Amino acid sequence: MPAINTMPAEGQNFLHPKGEKEFPYYVGIHSLADLATKEDRVCVLNILGGESTTVTPISHEYSGGNIVCGVMPGRSGSVLKTKIGDIPVYNNVLEALNDGKKFNVAVVYVPPDGVKDAVIEAVRVNPDLKKIVILTEKVKVKHARMIRQYCQWRGVDVFGANCLGLGDAHNHVRIGGALGGNVPHESLVPGSVALYSNSGNFTTTIATYLLTAGWGTTVSVSSGKDVYIHFAAPEFTHAMHNDDRSKAAVMYIEPGGYYERDLVFKKPVVACVVGRWKAKLTRSCGHAGAIAGSGDDAASKEKWFMDKFGVKAIFTPEAPACSAKGAVVTNIAHIPQAMTAVMMMNGIKPDFEPRGDLALKCWFFANQEIALPKELQLPMVEALAPYNEQIASLGKQVGAIFPRQAMKDCSGASRMDAKTQVSQVHGVSVLDASTHTLEENLVMSLLREYPDAAGRAMANVALNAFVNHFGLPGLLAADAARAAGSSPNVVLSTGVAMIGPNEVKPARDAVQVLVDLFGHSGLSDPNNLSFDFQAQLAAAAENGARDVLISSKSGKRGKSMLSALEARGCKSVFLEFVKALGAGGDGVRDSTVLAAICCHLAWRPLIRRRLSVTTMLAMPWHLRIFSAMVGCVVPADRQDKKSFSGVDNGELLESWSFTETAFLSLFGRRPNEEELFSFSVLVGLLVTNGPGTISAQGPKGAVSADGPMAPERIQVNKAYLGFLSHTGFAHGGNGYEAIAFLMERFKDSGLADPTDPNHGLDLMAMAMAYAAEYKAYKAKAKGAGSMDYAKIPCVNHPVFKGKPENFDPREVFVDNLFKQRGSYNVFQDFYHQLVHALFKSGISREIYCVNVDAVIAVILLKMLWKPYARGEVSALFGRMIGTAAEVDDHTNRGRDMDTRTAASACSYVS
Amino acid sequence: MQITGMKWGAKLLKYVDFPCAEVLGPEATPDEIKALIDKWGGCLIKPIFKGGIGKKGKAGLVGKATDVRTALKEKERLYFAEHTHGNQTSKSEGVTFEGFVKAEHEIYVSLTDNTIYRAPTLTITHHGGMDIEELPPSQIAVVPFDPLTGLKGFVISNALDKMNAPNEILSPLVQNITKLWDLFNNYGMTTLEINPIRIWRDPNGRLIPIACDFKCSFDGDDRNAKRLNLPETLDSIHLSDYELEVNQLRTYQGQSDVYVINPAGTITAMTFGGGANALVTELLGDLATISSDFGGNPPYAKMKMISDITYKHWLSQTNVLFLIGGKANNTDIYETFRAMGDGLRSYFNERGPTPLFVVVGRGGPNLVPGLGYLKDILDSLGIPHAMFGYDSAMSEVINYAMAVDTWMRNGGRQVIAQKLGVK
Repeated sequence: MPAINTMPAEGQNFLHPKGEKEFPYYVGIHSLADLATKEDRVCVLNILGGESTTVTPISHEYSGGNIVCGVMPGRSGSVLKTKIGDIPVYNNVLEALNDGKKFNVAVVYVPPDGVKDAVIEAVRVNPDLKKIVILTEKVKVKHARMIRQYCQWRGVDVFGANCLGLGDAHNHVRIGGALGGNVPHESLVPGSVALYSNSGNFTTTIATYLLTAGWGTTVSVSSGKDVYIHFAAPEFTHAMHNDDRSKAAVMYIEPGGYYERDLVFKKPVVACVVGRWKAKLTRSCGHAGAIAGSGDDAASKEKWFMDKFGVKAIFTPEAPACSAKGAVVTNIAHIPQAMTAVMMMNGIKPDFEPRGDLALKCWFFANQEIALPKELQLPMVEALAPYNEQIASLGKQVGAIFPRQAMKDCSGASRMDAKTQVSQVHGVSVLDASTHTLEENLVMSLLREYPDAAGRAMANVALNAFVNHFGLPGLLAADAARAAGSSPNVVLSTGVAMIGPNEVKPARDAVQVLVDLFGHSGLSDPNNLSFDFQAQLAAAAENGARDVLISSKSGKRGKSMLSALEARGCKSVFLEFVKALGAGGDGVRDSTVLAAICCHLAWRPLIRRRLSVTTMLAMPWHLRIFSAMVGCVVPADRQDKKSFSGVDNGELLESWSFTETAFLSLFGRRPNEEELFSFSVLVGLLVTNGPGTISAQGPKGAVSADGPMAPERIQVNKAYLGFLSHTGFAHGGNGYEAIAFLMERFKDSGLADPTDPNHGLDLMAMAMAYAAEYKAYKAKAKGAGSMDYAKIPCVNHPVFKGKPENFDPREVFVDNLFKQRGSYNVFQDFYHQLVHALFKSGISREIYCVNVDAVIAVILLKMLWKPYARGEVSALFGRMIGTAAEVDDHTNRGRDMDTRTAASACSYVS
Repeated sequence: MQITGMKWGAKLLKYVDFPCAEVLGPEATPDEIKALIDKWGGCLIKPIFKGGIGKKGKAGLVGKATDVRTALKEKERLYFAEHTHGNQTSKSEGVTFEGFVKAEHEIYVSLTDNTIYRAPTLTITHHGGMDIEELPPSQIAVVPFDPLTGLKGFVISNALDKMNAPNEILSPLVQNITKLWDLFNNYGMTTLEINPIRIWRDPNGRLIPIACDFKCSFDGDDRNAKRLNLPETLDSIHLSDYELEVNQLRTYQGQSDVYVINPAGTITAMTFGGGANALVTELLGDLATISSDFGGNPPYAKMKMISDITYKHWLSQTNVLFLIGGKANNTDIYETFRAMGDGLRSYFNERGPTPLFVVVGRGGPNLVPGLGYLKDILDSLGIPHAMFGYDSAMSEVINYAMAVDTWMRNGGRQVIAQKLGVK
């Protein structure tokens, strides 16, 4: 232990080791050359936290492997992978030391509340520790006080908090945060200027700016700008003087604090003081410590530096006020020029030739065909390397590319609003989805937007073309499952299982060919029939694409689809193209027509990069599965070569919507307008309930297990099996109990037509009678000591409660929807009477809401007025839409096996 | 949060049993005021300002009364008094009635974190009752002390002794001022100032220090202040709806500091980094709607929420949406720009188009994918834009944004509106 300094005359009468003699408190850093050295060995606290896992590997690799270990409670035995080897992780610092790890620097990524304890612990157990770099922001001032005092006592230099650490361009070492970003050598170029900045971001930005005047850096210090700056301007200045490599310094200074007031410089300095205007602000915005009192505002700080440098004005390019001692600027863009001017007065030339310049360089510009004044109309300038290549490849890229992350409990497709309980898929609430048809929602689930009228017609052709399963193994398997007494989920699973990759390969190949041919053609809207595709025709003939799209052996279905599209008035560049390629339609494979429809539907979002090529390629598979889900509902005895459930194949193709076909599969007839609307509402309401639901977790798990990072491996049909296996009697049977309940109430009522408001029933009397019955039942059950008595289905809701009268906004929405159509539903009316009856009878203390599950029940019952068994499938149709969205989303964004639960989070139950 | 005055100061001081003047609030009845005057021989009537208001410029804003009639008259005069210092104007919301404390000595005391000593520091003088800046240094003691042990009696005693303070006040001050450390340290304060403490001689002849004015500020990152159960509205009167909404997100990773500069501004700058915030705020001045710092690598979800809130409040009046930052170190440009772009698309989807020009200046990880994503959205929405990398001087990019704003103020906004089909 070195000699001891004491300060008995002041309140700080504590002991601390002897450091640099120029300071009345402990400072261990003699020279900037000591800040970030090749010999420093680092332990990162909270190494597996979100920020550290991104930043630490880059620091480690840039510095040649200076991080010996990290700690994170509960993660002992883990490693942080880097390109130059794994960094071992321990539960705590003591464990790392006991394992023989030696380090003199601790880097702190711990959350704010834990920073103080983490620092004290690291210092307490490791006598070798000499430097601590705290990256964490929002550390309490109270904790900063204690950290300072404890580290003073133990002779440890502290950097930060809320800083980005230290970088030494000469040593090629970065300690702590992310100075220089993910490509440190781009900004940290060796030179002769030492850099000190209150702003982490500007540390890197200023280093980059200096390059434009030929100045590189020695050391970059991001000081942080909390109230306590532990390694502050005085310590930096002292160490800069003692660093032979540093010929000058740049100091970026913000208002607040007196750190700079008493500095005495022995080397030239350019000080950038900002924040004059911020004096008008009455509280901090940005850096916590950048709020000034009366004497430490920006104007005062400008004057401090001007007095030191002996200059009377701020340096600007127009009026370059400076001396050999330095210059004050208020704009970071003026720093390079000021540095050169000051150094010239000292006879010192720049370190190297200027690299680039700071003139306006527009990388992307679009006036959107608006006439702008000349001075605003900017030419596009090629970006500096490597960004120029990235921009060039961006131009070549077709479609979006999504960043990958663990997607177990998150989704880029769906979400549930915890407040309103209304779920959304691609930003469309289920309430809005309920006003769209099944085919529109299916398309939207994949494209993130609804199709236009032409797109809707095309989707109907694509979906109806493959609905008839006559003679296909899927239907035989489904029938076998049906005969075995399996639930609808199992029946449909067997059918969907047969739509394997080989079934859809020709269509996927055709989509790929069309994307390759048209991706860079300039085609933005396939409705634009004036687009000239002669070049694509020629290319297709040359590169073998034609063979993928056209076949002399193709069957009748492709031709029928083209005829149906013609009959429906569908026009598309893609349809015209394949017809031209097949000489008027002959030889166009059905898979090619399906691919052309997919391309037409998805082209605009693809070109706008809202959609990935991965989604495009998967589209035919999803569409075939949608068809199979509906097709396998109808038993084999109601399908033949020419018709499906009694309707001619051609008629389905040319004039039926897929919603009608789905209704047909369930009820054996074409729905009337009212039934079609009700059916669409029903299906739309069930689209999704967010990524956490079992029905979403099933397909997400299936995708995860196949490995979405190689999306071509994803078995889309297997993902739907995941959905079907994760729905069942308890989940996916919305309203089942309510139907049974309503059937019981109305079975002897003599109700003839549930849509007739003049039904002649006294609903309130029925409701009061039931309320009395229920009250007696409840009292009896309670009297018998049972609290597990049956609840009335579909009334009350855990969120929509607590008011004198309560409403489930989803039920209100649907109720209004039907009211606006002049549509009446006796069952819904009864439910509304019932909640009032329960209140009047004293069963409930408030008027319960009628919840959304009741809506499903009353719609179904109104349509059917018969057993619910087949209605259950409607729920599957609805959730099929959400499944498509989740499967595609997880394929695009997920990581391999990202739905697994860590063994440490699992428990054994005996 | 900052607190000024005895209405709340007295409540806080009572937590640590620090004696203070008897205070009545604006709701005091004439009978209560009379009782106060009878007990103390008179009262001071002071306006209640929210937030931090210094002594400067408050001359004339304190009333004195020795009878109820005068007290009520002063109440009427001061109830909505205005206080202007520099460019800040505050309006009073009521008055307090504070009993006279007759005294021979007035003390100034403050606790704050001193950046010279890098330690909590006691500032004390027995020449109190006036602005501390007006005293010569020899009459003020500034003493740093050890935060691990706290403010000890000897620190106060030594300081007063060094200034030759009267012996009779040493003991009462040592006994009571040490209590302030508990308030300062345990409830997340960064400044605590009492000026004056009047040394009152009680009927038994004992000297008792009585706090007669109070000022403190709290550390925004320290939840301990919440234990005081101060009303949320105490400081929030200064916060706009926009600031309140964004402040809700402070718990997430990343900064989310905002300050409304000009509710009628036309450039909305979403700024990343404290440095960029300082520069952008400086150069845009009153053209800006807000001053902001959204740096610190906010995740997509937070950035999307910030964007939604910002667009909701400012986009309809904005000419230039300005997305600006330096070369980010760890903020993911793709994630943040994706969120801002998606927010823009949602806004246009839900509320229809609004005349807008987007100017971007940025650098950092995933820069080109981020710019590319935003560009695709702007193209699809038909919004003109210019995007610059970090190799353009930030100040030049700001100048360009201002030039666009000038053009839009002079008819350009109508041109874009027409193109977008906005009526």
